[in-house]
Amino acid sequence: MAVLVKAFGEKPWRDDEPLECVMVVPETSDTATFTFRSPSGSYFDYQPGQFVTLDLPVPGGNVQRTYTISSSPSRPLSISVTVKAQPGSVGGRWMLDHLRPGMRLKAYGPAGIFSFVRHEAPKYLFISAGSGITPMMSMTTWAWDSGEMPDIVFVHAARAPSDIIFRQRLEGMADRVPGLQLRFTVEESDAFRTWHGYRGRLNQIMLGLMASDYLEREVFCCGPEPFMQAVRDMLIGLGFDMEHYHQESFGAPIRNEADAPVMDDVVPDEETFAQVTFESSGVVAKCHETDTVLAVAKANGLNIPSGCTFGLCGTCKIRKTAGEVHMVHNGGITDEDIEEGYILACCSHPIGAISVEV
Amino acid sequence: MLNTADILNQLAGRQRNFSLSRELYSDEGVYHADLENIWYREWLFAIPSCDIPKTGNHATLQIGQYPVVIVRGGDGEIRAFHNVCRHRGQRLCPKQNGTSPKLVCPYHQWTYDLDGKLLFARDMGPDFDASKYSLKPVHCRTGGGMVFICLADNPPDFDQLGSYLRDYVGASDLSNAKVAFTSTIVEKGNWKLVIENNRECYHCGGSHPSLCRTYSDNPLMTVMEGPNAASSEILSHWSRCDEAGLPARFVNEPGMQWRLARVPLLNNAESFTMSTKAAVNRRMGTIPWNDAGSLMFYHFPSSWHHFLPDHAIVFRLLPISPTETEVTSKWLVHKDAVEGVDYDLQKLTEVWLATNDEDRRVVEENQRGILSPAYEPGPYSPSQEEGVIHFVDWYVRRMMDRLSPRPAMAAE
Ligand code: FES
Ligand code: FES
Ligand SMILES: [Fe+2]
Repeated sequence: MAVLVKAFGEKPWRDDEPLECVMVVPETSDTATFTFRSPSGSYFDYQPGQFVTLDLPVPGGNVQRTYTISSSPSRPLSISVTVKAQPGSVGGRWMLDHLRPGMRLKAYGPAGIFSFVRHEAPKYLFISAGSGITPMMSMTTWAWDSGEMPDIVFVHAARAPSDIIFRQRLEGMADRVPGLQLRFTVEESDAFRTWHGYRGRLNQIMLGLMASDYLEREVFCCGPEPFMQAVRDMLIGLGFDMEHYHQESFGAPIRNEADAPVMDDVVPDEETFAQVTFESSGVVAKCHETDTVLAVAKANGLNIPSGCTFGLCGTCKIRKTAGEVHMVHNGGITDEDIEEGYILACCSHPIGAISVEV
Repeated sequence: MLNTADILNQLAGRQRNFSLSRELYSDEGVYHADLENIWYREWLFAIPSCDIPKTGNHATLQIGQYPVVIVRGGDGEIRAFHNVCRHRGQRLCPKQNGTSPKLVCPYHQWTYDLDGKLLFARDMGPDFDASKYSLKPVHCRTGGGMVFICLADNPPDFDQLGSYLRDYVGASDLSNAKVAFTSTIVEKGNWKLVIENNRECYHCGGSHPSLCRTYSDNPLMTVMEGPNAASSEILSHWSRCDEAGLPARFVNEPGMQWRLARVPLLNNAESFTMSTKAAVNRRMGTIPWNDAGSLMFYHFPSSWHHFLPDHAIVFRLLPISPTETEVTSKWLVHKDAVEGVDYDLQKLTEVWLATNDEDRRVVEENQRGILSPAYEPGPYSPSQEEGVIHFVDWYVRRMMDRLSPRPAMAAE
């Protein structure tokens, strides 16, 4: 039986002491929050956005799994992690099925460099998908508890409204302060529940609607790698200064600056030459990587029908027969079409030499 | 061209259980009154939902003067819109079927999301409010995988039919079906003649040699008074279906606008094929036997259907002019059935392609004869043409109801 905590412990918790699970709260159908305390009564000191590594006694031997802390160090009596059992997961599954109050786990940490306290800015843009919401929750709670809620636009992408972890808690905070703006987008709605938020995959246009001043914001992004890649492509395409972009994959949190992966995003470069071969007309045009295929066509007296010129309407769809392009579209083309080799000329940049059927 | 008063006179003056007057089958004014009072006001069968299985799939149809587009959105929902661009009115989707991630007007590329919202319009100035120019919605409901639309502001009730469709057509699991073949033909005949022809089998013996291999032209095979009153063959078929949990018994709308019943085919035939055997090896849905017969469903004014254990055929008619009607038939099979392996397209479609063409010919000859000044309405057979009587009574009742002048204060 745990005893009522009457005061902070003397010392911060150190990871040579195991953690005791004191609470398990289901969040969505496959996600739960696990809260831990230090048996000796120490308090928890960390930066919001950091993670802990748990040593989980799964059948067949212990495994170590890293989870971002979803609680905030402004509430130092306990720490929580919020875990989604991804299909095929071992650790997450074990926690959901077996971890119960009273059990003790070996833990390491906290560690990690993904925290807004390390990058002070007047305005933040948090972008997360799925359980990538946990460090954002921690940082937002910290900001709220600070009493001087900074300006945060909180963008989150989920499969359905019922999969939005922490929805009520976030709405509760957002209802009380002007500084927190929630922007949710979902792939599908739930049956018999109206949904007034955004719908569909996050894209540049949606981002512009969610936070029109995104260029001025310090961006924190967390989610699966393809999601973060798409966010980076969007921001780069919009001319965002990537010095102000920070990310954390919920698959592989980063311990320190040295561990941070070098992002080798395709950033079309003005200096680098490229070439487009227009097959039907026999025109071969030299250009820069920063040119769009549509612009190259125009400059060479060829015409490709176009409308929006930013990857939304699909009018400029053409087939590419060779080479690579970097395309950041806004939903004007389907994945099937891309697989079949189609591109949108208005938002595709040739990387090296390419050929198109124009 | 008849005006409203003339039409009312003709309707009121018709002799019960007799065919209608020459004008009611051919006059331009009547045609417009039919559109206004029936086609623009009733629920109309549009497509099976498996016609647009994926996000961005759309199908179009023309109801009188209204082009309509039906789209499957990113959330899986099926929605219908007036197929008219909010800019300068271009028809938005020109093709019968298409796929695109957004609905883009081919004229100036105004771009709408699949839920009808205007996402982008080039160079419309800073004061342009795109939210005021969403596509106009059309009422759209689905039951058992059958998509219905209604152009009226306040559509009639759909819930009862919808729940029956869920049960009855549900057994064919159209959500796991695909369209194997579509045929669209134009019959040079008034839409009412097309339905009348469909509602009786008095003509089958003389006109439909291939259909009559499997489909009984015995009038008792389609006549039933209720869920417990029908010929003994049908009653025993229903008991067998009851035991297997397969919805089969006759249900209908009180005014006969629609009805559903599963009836056996001749001599345990399995499907509408020349061999009388199933046309598709991979069966649809959860129907337990090959010889479960056909679930027959009609809905005035626009459709009739057959749901068999191995495939289904949905039929839709749309009026084009006083004396022309478009008839679209779609053959549905299990979505995993492979053409050439699980079914042979020719064997699957031959009986109803032939039957449709035979019906086209009788309807066209019927219209020609009716256009003669010498035509006068003739009596329907009470035993053979009961279904026609249902239709004509329904039509006359609806039209008189809607055309009759009303006291100014009457509440609708
Ligand atoms: S012009 Fe609209 S997508 Fe390229
Ligand atoms: S009419 Fe559709 S964009 Fe102009
Ligand atoms: Fe016929």
